[in-house]
Amino acid sequence: MSQLMIADRVPREELMTSGHVACPGCAAPIAMRMVLKALGPKTIVVMPASCWSIIAGPWPQSSLKVPLYHAAFETGAATASGVRAALDMQGDTETTVLVWAGDGGTFDIGLQALSGAAERNENILYCCYDNEAYMNTGIQRSSATPWGAATSTTPAVQPQSTHKKDILAILAAHRIPYAATATVAHPVDLLEKVTKARAIRGTRFLHILAPCPPGWKFEDDETIELARMAVRAGVFPLVEVEHGEHWRFTAEGAREPVGPYLRKQGRFRHLGEEQVRQIQAEVDRRWNAMRRRVESSESDEDGSLAEGG
Amino acid sequence: MGPSGSEYRRVPPIAVSSSSTLVNHTGSWKYIRPLFQDRVAPCNAGCPVGIDIEGYMNLLREGRVAEARDLLLRENPMPGVTGRVCHHPCEVSCNRESFDRAVAVHAVERMLGDLAMPEVPLPAPPARNQRVAIVGSGPAGLACAYHLAGLGYRVTVFEAATQPGGMLRLAIPEYRLPEAVLDREIERIRARGVEIICCVNVGDDLPWWSVRANYDAVFLAPGAHRDRALEVEGEQSRGVEPGLKFLEDVKRGNRPNLGRQVIVVGGGNTAIDCARTAVRMGADCLVLYRRTRAEMPAIPDEVEEAEREGVKFEFLAAPVAFESKRGRLKAVECVRMRLGPPDASGRRRPIPVDSDHFTLPADTVLTAVGEVTDLAAVPQDLERQDSALRVGAWGETSGVRVFAGGDVTDETRSVAHALGAGKRAAIGIDRYLRQAAGEPVEPDGLARLRYGGSGNVSITRWRGDDPIQRASPTNDVVRFEDLNPSHFQRAARRDDRRLHSETARSGFTEVNLGLTRDGALEEARRCFNCAVCNGCELCLIFCPDVAIARGTDGNRFDIALDYCKGCGVCAAECPRGGITMTRAGL
Amino acid sequence: MVGNHAVSWGASLSRAEVISAYPITPQTQVVEQLSEMCADGRLNARFIKVESEHSAMAACIGASAAGARAFTATSSQGLALMHELLHWASLGRLPIVMADINRALAPGWNIWTDQNDTLAQRDTGWIQLYCETNQEVLDTTIQAFKLAEAVDLPVMLVLDAFYLSHTAEPVDIPDPEMVDVYLPRREPRYRLDVNEPRAFGALVRPDSYMEMRWHQQSAMDRARAEFEHIDREWENLFCRRYGAVESYRTEGADLLLVTSGTITSTARFVIDRRRARGEAVGLVKMKMFRPFPADTLRTLLSGVERVAVLDRNLSPGRSGIFAEEIRAALYDVDPEERPALYGYVVGLGGRDVTPGTIDDIIDRTRGAAAPTREDVWVGLNL
Repeated sequence: MSQLMIADRVPREELMTSGHVACPGCAAPIAMRMVLKALGPKTIVVMPASCWSIIAGPWPQSSLKVPLYHAAFETGAATASGVRAALDMQGDTETTVLVWAGDGGTFDIGLQALSGAAERNENILYCCYDNEAYMNTGIQRSSATPWGAATSTTPAVQPQSTHKKDILAILAAHRIPYAATATVAHPVDLLEKVTKARAIRGTRFLHILAPCPPGWKFEDDETIELARMAVRAGVFPLVEVEHGEHWRFTAEGAREPVGPYLRKQGRFRHLGEEQVRQIQAEVDRRWNAMRRRVESSESDEDGSLAEGG
Repeated sequence: MGPSGSEYRRVPPIAVSSSSTLVNHTGSWKYIRPLFQDRVAPCNAGCPVGIDIEGYMNLLREGRVAEARDLLLRENPMPGVTGRVCHHPCEVSCNRESFDRAVAVHAVERMLGDLAMPEVPLPAPPARNQRVAIVGSGPAGLACAYHLAGLGYRVTVFEAATQPGGMLRLAIPEYRLPEAVLDREIERIRARGVEIICCVNVGDDLPWWSVRANYDAVFLAPGAHRDRALEVEGEQSRGVEPGLKFLEDVKRGNRPNLGRQVIVVGGGNTAIDCARTAVRMGADCLVLYRRTRAEMPAIPDEVEEAEREGVKFEFLAAPVAFESKRGRLKAVECVRMRLGPPDASGRRRPIPVDSDHFTLPADTVLTAVGEVTDLAAVPQDLERQDSALRVGAWGETSGVRVFAGGDVTDETRSVAHALGAGKRAAIGIDRYLRQAAGEPVEPDGLARLRYGGSGNVSITRWRGDDPIQRASPTNDVVRFEDLNPSHFQRAARRDDRRLHSETARSGFTEVNLGLTRDGALEEARRCFNCAVCNGCELCLIFCPDVAIARGTDGNRFDIALDYCKGCGVCAAECPRGGITMTRAGL
Repeated sequence: MVGNHAVSWGASLSRAEVISAYPITPQTQVVEQLSEMCADGRLNARFIKVESEHSAMAACIGASAAGARAFTATSSQGLALMHELLHWASLGRLPIVMADINRALAPGWNIWTDQNDTLAQRDTGWIQLYCETNQEVLDTTIQAFKLAEAVDLPVMLVLDAFYLSHTAEPVDIPDPEMVDVYLPRREPRYRLDVNEPRAFGALVRPDSYMEMRWHQQSAMDRARAEFEHIDREWENLFCRRYGAVESYRTEGADLLLVTSGTITSTARFVIDRRRARGEAVGLVKMKMFRPFPADTLRTLLSGVERVAVLDRNLSPGRSGIFAEEIRAALYDVDPEERPALYGYVVGLGGRDVTPGTIDDIIDRTRGAAAPTREDVWVGLNL
């Protein structure tokens, strides 16, 4: 098939409603909607503080048609552990407990609880929709903010000076059964990953890149394009890892230079050519590290196959 | 236990939801809105016939093969013919060419054309009493007859030859266009009620005054059947033959003696037809062309097939004299050419290099440097322009109620252009007769009827009975830059199946076998479906506001403007440029 | 049975469904024994062994929101770490029960008892019940669930480090079937239910937030009467009753001590000895601190000449917390009837409060012309 006929691949059911108050062009609701489509109505959402705390609607509204618990910022994975335990006690092993957290709630304040849950291999699906800063509070930097980005706490004259935390590797180091990256621009990949994750017991982690028009400073209609460019530039490789060992790329394709991706975003406007080169070098370094993980997984599999034979 | 419900008053003890966010009409935020707006695909605009290619491709994608065929047959009475012999400019304009390779539209069209006739033909309006005479049963005449019959007119076609079809019948070799295919197409035209009378030479057997008196309108499409002269010394020698005459001779079943070495002069389709036919008759054949391969007007595929079959080419060469010995042709003296600045056709003008002459041995020379109209065969009162009849946009001549089209005018000489001219004149005649009957007619509706404003006309647009629901259609053409190619994947173009060249050159069996039905359907799925919604639902899935839903009331999609924030993601992500962001209606 | 095991037994008999806890001295035996009970199947519950007290409370919140009976136990620093989530549990109206083993706060490290950890959580919206004996600990654990689920508020039951937690006393274990009669399965009004999807805890605007706080306050108000009811029901089944406030030998007394926790037992001994000598002294034991039993205290203390309040806690810059609250409660008592109130800060960081300490306090109270402006620190050795 030469065209993506997504219509046949996406479940019809809408578990999210219009009228939510996300900014125009926001990727976060797109991500939620796709994930819920893949999970279905037997899902309970635990939502630590994030943009989505607002998108879900003020009391007495809800933009979700599944149960939703607004949780304290740092407690996503822990609260979900409790929900899971309660469901287990009620004999409900079918319902998916979904943590829906932003990058702040995952990379920063929620990392301890997430690490704890992952170490316990809690039977939850943890989705981090990553817009690479504290967007809800006004674009302050987080440990998910890429090097060189301007935010309201890393102004252009002194932009983010550290590289984005490799959250997937951190989760993989917990040897959880499934961890993957995804974006809103790759709906089939995302749906397949959620569907796969749904069928697995234990802690599953999905890191979804969710571009933010006001935070990254691009046009409202470029949200999907930005996510696509991030993947093509190798800034955000689409991968999955099982049991912390078996790494796999889920999207192949030639890598494009990072420059055009950066140039589309106002948060990188202050960068000179030299800094773009530095970012390219870091992207290359990470990409190569990822490629080595994937290759070593492949050779491991070959090896174990040979031993088995 | 806790407090009872009545104690909750307005506010419950906890922040528990009791409504959805649908109460927030976030649509009020927007200053721009999406509009599903079908535009025109470049293939439609590029087709000289004026076929809704995009329309039938879309139907094929949905597996609606019979409907696709019917849509095609609305605009083109001879898809089996054009699928084989058209130079398919649709593929040149195909946006997919900028991505990987153009869709093999011709092969898809051919598959549809070869399907059985529709059981229920295009629905005709109530029969009209007026009668129209058509002179000439080539593609222009037959197309005009077909469309007029479809509009309810009583149509009679007069053909001088013994069988209808014009050049298609007389000159195009069997290995390119089997007569059975042509017969089937003509049968389909007859099935519409078109009367075809052969062996009538109008102006001779039947006087012009009689035709003009007995019919409410006349369409002249006698074609151009005379080979253009080379104007070279010795051209009258035995062994120097007009190519067209040669082709007609062979089609009549004759096998003229060519000798061993044949030289064909020319670079168009007739030249290639001559060469390949000569090869089939056992001759060695060389094509002499005064420009280079890039300037050849012949269909490139045909040139390649000719090469595979053993035809040789001598480019940048032109004959200056024919040498005979004892009344038999022996050789052709040629002059080397070089390319100068572009001429009126945009191609670089060939200039002789006088110092460079050479001689090629030849037993037969076939000349194929174009055909000219025999204007003696049309009424003398009609205004001419150069060597053709002067016609207006609707095919109207200077004579009252007389229209003309095809090779008798200065129309580009191709089957597709002839079919297109016939259609345009059919609309012109319908328009004229309606006007004459006092019916209101749009004063200048031609651009509206033309695909993209400058393509050929659509009879469906004229009739106003498009079976395809189009959303707020506009007539502008979608360019590659308007598409979002991220959603397309590369896919190899399917090549036509062909006879092996050894087999091919040994007879007149059809060489190009097109695609299998499944192959053609697969190829149709390569179509980007430019400019029209094909229901891919990317807009729906990418909408951050769940504001696009599968449609009701015949719309493919409904946009909930109460909630759409006007972000434009749908328009940006639409793979085919089918969504426009507009301030209109806000 | 040590107090910590009494907690475990109480939680087990209450059929807690989800337990989540993090170890801290002196609470560890609670979670150790509950782990064993879960492991060997005596208790059908999911025990989530989290990485912090913060997550322990978060897990309890999640479990309770999903309809489960949730339990945890902690102490001191652990309770302080939970602080944010204590508000969350209460405003979320989740009937979680937590045992806190009263332990002093660091630095310097101190693992011994005082009440500052729990009293620092006074305003988080938790019901607080302080226990005197290990029997009371076990009984209160079960009562706590009944009370919590009756008013949709979390309950903290409190016991002194080591004096109860690690001290063995004879404890009668109630018949489980009778406990089941007393405390049937939890039936939450709302829970996270895929068949009835609702969102909990969304943004509440100024036009409605206050009303939700009013509901919380109103539930606290109901909890006083509800506890009396629950306590009486317990007595009917198990022939033991504690009361939100207990008065001990108060008849005709001109001086009353007010105590909480294990100091009460020591005080009983002193009161008995002084009564035997004919001295008109008595004791008021405060089990319930939140909601504050102000009316009961007013009734009990009005008309008494002198009241001495023993605080094993301190609100730095002010005074002992019980004394301060009782003073406030007595403010609207007719001045003729209003007792003179003497506040004493005692036993911080686990310092022993002996019969001698209490005798000293009674003597000081009797000997004073009037209460001092500041509470008196007893046993201070600077």
